[in-house]
Amino acid sequence: MADDRGTAGVALGSAPRVARMLRAIARRLTSGFLTLLLLTVLVFSLVKLAPGTPLAEAADEGLARLPPTTQAELERLYHLDQPLHWQYGLWLTSMLRGDLGTSFHDRRPVTAKIRERLGTTLGLNAAALAISILLAVPLGAFAAWRPGSWPDRSIGLVTYFVHALPVFCGALLLQIAFSVHLGWLPLAGIATDGTASGGTLATALDRIRHMVLPVVCLSYGSLAYLSRFVRATLLENASAESTLAARARGLGPVVAFVRHGFRLAAIPMLTLAGLLLPALVGGSVIVESIFAVPGLGRMFLDAALQRDLPVLLGLTLLAGVSTLVGIVASDVAYSLVDPRLRRG
Amino acid sequence: MKRSARSVATSVVLISVACAGPGDRSASDASAPSVVRASLAQDPASLSLLGKSDLTTEIVAYQITDALVRYDPSLRLVPRVAESWSWSDDRTELRFRLREGVRWHDGAPVTADDVVFTVERARDPAVENRTFAGLFRDLATIDAPDPRTVRARFHSASHGALEAFLVPLVPRHLAGKDADLLTGAYSRHPIGCGPFRFVAHRPGQDLELAANDDYWDGRPAIDRLVFKILPDAATSYQALLSGELDLLTVPAALWEEARSSAEAGRFSALSFSTLSVWPVVWNQGSGSPYFRDQRVRQALVHALDREEFARTIGRGLARPGITTFHPDTVWADPDLSPRPYDRALAARLLDEAGWSDSNGDGVRDRNGIPFRFTLLLPTSSRLLTRQIAEWEQQSWASLGVVAEIRQLEWQAFRELRNSGRFDAASYNLLFTPEPDQFWDLFHSSATAAYNVYGLADPEVDRWLAAGREAVSDDDRRSAYRKLQRRLYELEAVSCTFYFSTPVLHDRRLEGLTPSPIDLWRTTAGPQVWRWAAPRG
Repeated sequence: MADDRGTAGVALGSAPRVARMLRAIARRLTSGFLTLLLLTVLVFSLVKLAPGTPLAEAADEGLARLPPTTQAELERLYHLDQPLHWQYGLWLTSMLRGDLGTSFHDRRPVTAKIRERLGTTLGLNAAALAISILLAVPLGAFAAWRPGSWPDRSIGLVTYFVHALPVFCGALLLQIAFSVHLGWLPLAGIATDGTASGGTLATALDRIRHMVLPVVCLSYGSLAYLSRFVRATLLENASAESTLAARARGLGPVVAFVRHGFRLAAIPMLTLAGLLLPALVGGSVIVESIFAVPGLGRMFLDAALQRDLPVLLGLTLLAGVSTLVGIVASDVAYSLVDPRLRRG
Repeated sequence: MKRSARSVATSVVLISVACAGPGDRSASDASAPSVVRASLAQDPASLSLLGKSDLTTEIVAYQITDALVRYDPSLRLVPRVAESWSWSDDRTELRFRLREGVRWHDGAPVTADDVVFTVERARDPAVENRTFAGLFRDLATIDAPDPRTVRARFHSASHGALEAFLVPLVPRHLAGKDADLLTGAYSRHPIGCGPFRFVAHRPGQDLELAANDDYWDGRPAIDRLVFKILPDAATSYQALLSGELDLLTVPAALWEEARSSAEAGRFSALSFSTLSVWPVVWNQGSGSPYFRDQRVRQALVHALDREEFARTIGRGLARPGITTFHPDTVWADPDLSPRPYDRALAARLLDEAGWSDSNGDGVRDRNGIPFRFTLLLPTSSRLLTRQIAEWEQQSWASLGVVAEIRQLEWQAFRELRNSGRFDAASYNLLFTPEPDQFWDLFHSSATAAYNVYGLADPEVDRWLAAGREAVSDDDRRSAYRKLQRRLYELEAVSCTFYFSTPVLHDRRLEGLTPSPIDLWRTTAGPQVWRWAAPRG
């Protein structure tokens, strides 16, 4: 019944609804753009307020130091001698032209540095997210099917256990077991040294072997969270009127549970998916450091320690844009799955 | 056709690599290229060999290129690309004669003009070379009267100047084409005249070098040198155990475990003293009321049972320190010995300085100020930093002196230290063998450098100046010994410990010669390492 009403709605008032949706997206993008600007101002201010300078010697440099004239020359080169609002304005105007500036650390373009590592981080996080979802949905559904039963309690126990296992600890245990003792998987890095970056199957397999342990580490924590989320949402909807009505219409319990339960659970899960999107490009500092994965998470940490403002601003912008895209994508998806939202 | 054959061959090799577990490495074919795999915690900031100057960058630079002079493992400056040098009588002019037959990796000869270019670039602020921009500060002019002669003139007599010619050489005909040495084409594929050629750098992954067949001092015995970028110390250690690394500086906390582990039989252990001290810098300026009296500083060192710490928590990697003049250098005064552990003397010195427990609360005080100070530390992965601070805290507490430990991220620590807003600070200090560097740490005028703790002692200033101006080595030694005695008496900077660096390496890897500098940057670096045959 609900489907019929929804379909009729599309047929009768499609053009005004699309216009409404576009207006809503435009509003969201406008407010999102302003939020992004505020975010960059905030990051800029925080880095400037933090003690330290990008020209500081490293902790292992002993008594070496830049002569004062050199120091002054470098401050001029990086515009660090200018007022703060001027420095921010310079970054902003460059950014609007598509130039995120150059890193203070190695003077390379920030866009090139991000591009170099984005693929690795995206691949790693997408694989971890896909595995989490693919395992979490059936696990959550299975647990919700008979709440309180021994499978439910067992799944709960195991998922809580892995959730409580700190990732640095889990990573070390996995490395010791699968790399040091069994020798099945590489310990760290993303490729065996000496392998050319060609398109051969062996290179791809080598990459996959390197990704196994980091992906397991990245996914096991969210697996617990996601499976409990699916379970709770399904349980909540199992007693919903539409599910009960479906049972009353003679649908079997499994069909009613799957068809109506999952449909009702779609909206909260889409919200979650929208929020997970930024995590795809956010990177993981801990996992990337332990497994020596050259991703954006490690880059962010290094940039923060080096007070490398252009890199920090570039990565913040990337995270902000992906959050915005995630939110807008969630909004659009809501209106597609929920007829009430479709009608505004 | 050739390309596809290579591709098939590559695939076969890669599949073998993909299928082989780490345990298979020991069964490597003796005829296979000999590779040494080591680790770096981060990528070099620049591959231009001159740009930036952190430790990682220098380690890599000295494999790819060479210098006019280098330190040998016993800390003597020995000729390398220069076959000889001579000073003018007044020590203001230094002439180098270049070795014949030294070539860049592209086959071009290394000339005096390349040296002049290198020095000019090293002094260029845009190159951001902290080490050599400072060392060349007294250089007035440098020129090349002929292709094998370099002539450098200095503003004043300068001993430290020879150390400046450790600068890694770069070729004018290649590096000179780039407007920005740090980012130009040369920095993406550096060409040097050192024992290894640059092959590839995969940022965040590894850096690969290959033996230079044409190296003037003989081709290295190993074919390839691979630095893996491993930021996590625990991962590096596991990589060593799994056979993915051939040598590693082991974290101190794992040193005992490493030597007693099941895998220990595969490794040889080295621990060697390095030019590194872990001092307590006492703020004697206006920023703190506790440490202006030298008796207080002496008392706090007498309160530390450093021999006991070195034996137990120190795991044999630390030994009691005397002054910043490291005992492994020729300048150290052999007649000085570490201040002994003597709690009674420590208590008496504090009493004499006016710090006593007047209100019976267990904490000493003077003029109503309790002896409760902050010991500032940077977060560090280096040796035992936190353990030393906590042990010092306990030792001083039993004497009625309260130290509160405050550990900050390096940049935040550095900012507080440089502003003089601290009571006492501990951090790792790395030195070179050249004693003139201590000017920046001890001279009263060096407040913009590293004398941020308010030391202003005319006698210290006098001996520093005497060491800098002396012409003969004997006169320098005499001046620096007097300086050490004064520093010891003042206890201005307390060198609690000298450290050793613990290294594990595959026992089949031979020729590793420890040096107080490190394994990498002396004349006994990887160019003289070799795999013992057969591997297995």
